[in-house]
Amino acid sequence: MTILETKNLHKKFNKAEVLKGIDFSINQGEVVSIIGSSGSGKSTFLRCLNFLDKKDKGDIIFKNNIVENKAASIIELRKHVGMVFQSFNLFFNMTVLKNVMSGLVIVNKEEKSLAEKKAMELLDKVGLTEKAHVYPETMSGGQLQRVAIARALAMSPDVVLFDEPTSALDPELVAEVLAVMKNLAKEGCTMIVVTHEMAFAREVSDRVIFLHEGIITEEGTPDEIFNHPKNERLRSFLSSMSF
Amino acid sequence: MEFFENALHFLTSAIDNFPKFFPGIIATLQLSVLSIILGTVFGLIVNLLKMTKIKPLCMLADLYVAVVRGTPLLLQLFFMFYGLPQMGIYIDRFSSAVAGLAFHNGAYISEIFRGSIQAIPRGQHEAAKAIGMTKLQAFKNVIFPQAFKHAVPALGNQFLLAIKDSSLASVITITETMMLARQLAAATFSIFPVYFDAAVIYMVLTYALNVLLRKLEKRLKVNER
Repeated sequence: MTILETKNLHKKFNKAEVLKGIDFSINQGEVVSIIGSSGSGKSTFLRCLNFLDKKDKGDIIFKNNIVENKAASIIELRKHVGMVFQSFNLFFNMTVLKNVMSGLVIVNKEEKSLAEKKAMELLDKVGLTEKAHVYPETMSGGQLQRVAIARALAMSPDVVLFDEPTSALDPELVAEVLAVMKNLAKEGCTMIVVTHEMAFAREVSDRVIFLHEGIITEEGTPDEIFNHPKNERLRSFLSSMSF
Repeated sequence: MEFFENALHFLTSAIDNFPKFFPGIIATLQLSVLSIILGTVFGLIVNLLKMTKIKPLCMLADLYVAVVRGTPLLLQLFFMFYGLPQMGIYIDRFSSAVAGLAFHNGAYISEIFRGSIQAIPRGQHEAAKAIGMTKLQAFKNVIFPQAFKHAVPALGNQFLLAIKDSSLASVITITETMMLARQLAAATFSIFPVYFDAAVIYMVLTYALNVLLRKLEKRLKVNER
């Protein structure tokens, strides 16, 4: 089943055209990595998917329904589309547990005890139960990102968007976050991952998309993209990554 | 010797007159507490109005802040006291004083909130949105609790001003500390001791508030290392 699609998606910032007509779709259980140099529009594309950046033209289609450009439909979409940010963005005024519960309690108005139980299960999954009552301020980047993943998962989203989830981490903390993401992928979580971690993209993705100057320049299996790149831009991009 | 005699006389006069201030202290407290609470509510409402991004509401909020910041408090109190009845709005003296002071404080408090809300990183807004919160839910659960914490030092400053500004209510016939001081000074001719009493009262009130605010600040810091 197709979870999320875009048709002819366009986005401009002032005069700079960042996305020039993106056609994209992702099926349930699929892991899609989006790679490309900085300024290629990867993050903008991801942020357009849940309307953090408003598209200028084109359609965003969630489970075969076009998402209308009005507050109620956008909020409804966001309840089903999780997001993990480069800079974690945990709520500073809440403990780790409250952060994970926030969507369930505030958005879904679920009963506290139920939400807490689910949140504890998710913290267990990312290996951070002992931090449940700690405030984010005192934690490492890797821990923060794992909590952020648990927070996104709490809503039982149909797809999770990862916006360069390891780019703000110290190198030794990258592995713990990638391990959590690999597990998710194995469990069949539908994921769209904007990343500079080529090894991760190659190992975990079902499909890799190379974005260049706002256009999907090449798309294929990890083997096609990394071992047999056709496009000249992709080839020079990959050689510059040296992984 | 003369100095000590004078000092003794001064002190006995100050102490003798002090009990006469009690009704004034109560009035000062009532004026300050009510105008602080109402002013905070006004300040919050102004920010909520601006958050709606509906043009007329934003303009109304901006106009309110501009008028209050652009005119003297004394004039605002006169308007409440003399102006409103002429427009056919009758409220009692005390209410008009509270309304005037709260109206004044609200504008400044709204600016304090505005500043501290703007200081919240964009990522906090985005994370709240991304998880499906409405603007109001995000404001109530994420943005305002953080903004309030940052606002406490500046709010405290405004609250201290509010206590001292309540003395201006004396010019619209409210019998608070300053009004009593003037009356007692005229009646007893012990001008300096009486005003000294008044000064002590304002000092004690503001100092007590300051201690409370420090405690609040400390309690709100639990989430910092």
